[in-house]
Amino acid sequence: MGDPTEVEGAASEPAEDLLTQLVAHLREHRERLRDQWMSRIREAGLLQAMTPQEMGAETTSVYDNYVEVLETGSVEALQRYARDLSERIIPRGVETHEVVGIVLLLRDVLARSLFEKYQRDFALLNRILDAYEPAANRIANTVAVSFVEERERIIRKQQDAIRELSTPVLPVRERLLILPIIGVLDSERAGQLTEQLLGAIRTHRAKVVVVDVTGSPEVDQTVANHLVQTVEASRLMGASVIITGLSPEIARTLVRIGVDLSKMNTIGDLQGGIEEAERLLGYRVTRRNDVADGP
Amino acid sequence: MQVLGLASSLVDDTVLDGSRHHRRTSGTPVDGTAVADLEPMLRRIVVARLGDHPAAEDLVQETLVRVLDARDRIEPRMLEPYAIATVRNVMATMWRAEGREERNRHRAHDPGVPDPADAHLLEEEERLALRTAVGRLDRDERAALVAHDVDGQDTRSLAEEAGSTAGAVAARLSRTRARLRVEYLLALEQVEPPTERCRSVLLAVSAADRRRQRELGAAQHLLECEDCGRLSVPLLRRAPARDDETRVAISADPDIVTARRAARAVAARAGLTGADLTLVATAVSEVARNIVRFAVQGEVVIELLDGPRPGVRIVARDAGPGIADLEQAQRDGYSTCAGLGLGLPGARRLMDDFDIVSTPGQGTTVSMTKWIPRRT
Amino acid sequence: MNDGPALVSILRQGDTLVASVHTALDDSEMVRFQEDLVRQIGEHRARGVIIDVAALDVLDSFGSRTLRTIAEMARLRGALTVIVGIQPAVAYAMVRLGTGPGEVPTALDLEEGLAHLARARDPGGGGSVR
Repeated sequence: MGDPTEVEGAASEPAEDLLTQLVAHLREHRERLRDQWMSRIREAGLLQAMTPQEMGAETTSVYDNYVEVLETGSVEALQRYARDLSERIIPRGVETHEVVGIVLLLRDVLARSLFEKYQRDFALLNRILDAYEPAANRIANTVAVSFVEERERIIRKQQDAIRELSTPVLPVRERLLILPIIGVLDSERAGQLTEQLLGAIRTHRAKVVVVDVTGSPEVDQTVANHLVQTVEASRLMGASVIITGLSPEIARTLVRIGVDLSKMNTIGDLQGGIEEAERLLGYRVTRRNDVADGP
Repeated sequence: MQVLGLASSLVDDTVLDGSRHHRRTSGTPVDGTAVADLEPMLRRIVVARLGDHPAAEDLVQETLVRVLDARDRIEPRMLEPYAIATVRNVMATMWRAEGREERNRHRAHDPGVPDPADAHLLEEEERLALRTAVGRLDRDERAALVAHDVDGQDTRSLAEEAGSTAGAVAARLSRTRARLRVEYLLALEQVEPPTERCRSVLLAVSAADRRRQRELGAAQHLLECEDCGRLSVPLLRRAPARDDETRVAISADPDIVTARRAARAVAARAGLTGADLTLVATAVSEVARNIVRFAVQGEVVIELLDGPRPGVRIVARDAGPGIADLEQAQRDGYSTCAGLGLGLPGARRLMDDFDIVSTPGQGTTVSMTKWIPRRT
Repeated sequence: MNDGPALVSILRQGDTLVASVHTALDDSEMVRFQEDLVRQIGEHRARGVIIDVAALDVLDSFGSRTLRTIAEMARLRGALTVIVGIQPAVAYAMVRLGTGPGEVPTALDLEEGLAHLARARDPGGGGSVR
């Protein structure tokens, strides 16, 4: 049996040296390689949303970061940079495939230059590429992941803002909330709405809620079931719900398809609903039994 | 004792090299240089005592393996004294073993050696188990493992020799290591797997091959088969911790609470928010309770999903009596245990997807998914 | 109560018992809670019981059923039970699950719960207990 450590040592020791060599080469030819990369980006029709100046600045910056990550192995720096980059370019409509595309192009441009430099020494070339490829792939991966995450984060933020606007819960007076439903309710939005309403009951310590569906063109079974659930859940939190704006036709349809309207306190219009709410709250009516049990 | 005879017949280079693989495969980074430097000294010691005894080289290697094994526990300056003490022990063990074999040759049953040092005995058992395990590998598997892990030959050149690719060789090596781990455990526990499936299941677990595990229904098997359930523990612990999957063993009331807490945590990481988290936790509570009530023992696995849509999947499985009439069990009001009729239909209403498979006498698996709302 | 105090506290206020659940309970703990509470209702001859579940992040079918059972047993001993503090998400999950406290009255919080009990005993009187 030979001495295993010798063989191992010979294969693994120079790996760092190789990387140092490689990084030195990429630094030395920075300008030329970056230009090659940019022209490849242009040929591929990527990043057309950017002006040449912007592109010059961004590619230089990505290049330097790329080499730095190769050198230090620190992906954190690259992640940070990738996030910053994403934040700036996403609003300009740069797509995920473009970001991944330019990083892959850079990987290939650099690999090609390594090939040209070391092609005479095939063994060395192999070792250089062995050191380079995994690092380069890891970078491409990191950039792509950061970009996608950032994109999702931004989109989610925007959608949250839009949703907030579309279902306002209005605290009309102490312990009374009004929830006007405007527009089409799908199952998802109905769920959101219920959640929002239940949260508002807690924050405002509401005892009565008027849900006005006058502004909702259709109330189908899904929406009706959500309404029933909302009424029930509100009751569990100690609040009564009054539904207003349900036209007689819709009410009949709901009964026909099996929605249990008996659990709901329905009143024709919003005005009547508010009056009923105030009665429940004891503002005008002298008798106050039945207050908390609700409908 | 059969193992004893087997072990001494296996004292050859390959077997001892095999124990080295084991070190390598157990996840410690190999920094053997300092240990390997001890080799000439150790050889001098052994040769001084044994001359050119056929086992001399084996003992040197054996010692190196043990020192490698212990190097996390010893300080660098203690390395040499430790190695010298070890090589003496190793030689003593061999003498004892030879003497013992001689003495006991006439007995059909070896009652075991009354060794005062239990630790030593244990060590011996582990070593025997490892030898047996290495002995159960194919000749090719063993050869590849030796070439790569001991002689330091890289996968590329192995591939060239075999007319294959480096990737294929690496994959094969890792399968071999997985197999070695399984065989080692079987030998150590002296278990002969009770069913034909056992070995494949353990192998899939050892290789952390999730696709294969699913194909084999490994999780279900581990619940059903006592031997595999026990043997899989070290194999599962060894697998890289997955932060996208959480496993909660269910056997008693408190586990229900643990499972729903875990589910809430994973669901939050998946990106679910607000009431959805509570829906998931409640559904988990229901299915976990079904396990405690009807099956006594099982597990709940909570998994992050990437595609086709991001979400969280809960799999609750048990090896209980199973449910004879699934349709009935999913109707409201069904119950075989005071007032629990809401469990399954309720959980179904809380989740987006719900699926149940049950075989009477074998167990029940509930899979249910909650998707992250697509916000448009 | 054996190891109860850490998980649940039961306080007496006049002829009302206020039971607060402080942390998630498993099924056996829930059953123990039920036994303790029902026993104390008898011992103190309580007329009203308030169960505060604000600390619970899950009320599944078993939890709901236990609450219903407590209320029913309290009723048989002449006490009225109000459940208070159900969290918004928990309320929603209970409705989706199809369980709930049934006919047991619910209120937003302790204050509302006490008000409810006062009204229930004296329908014509004022709304405040204090």
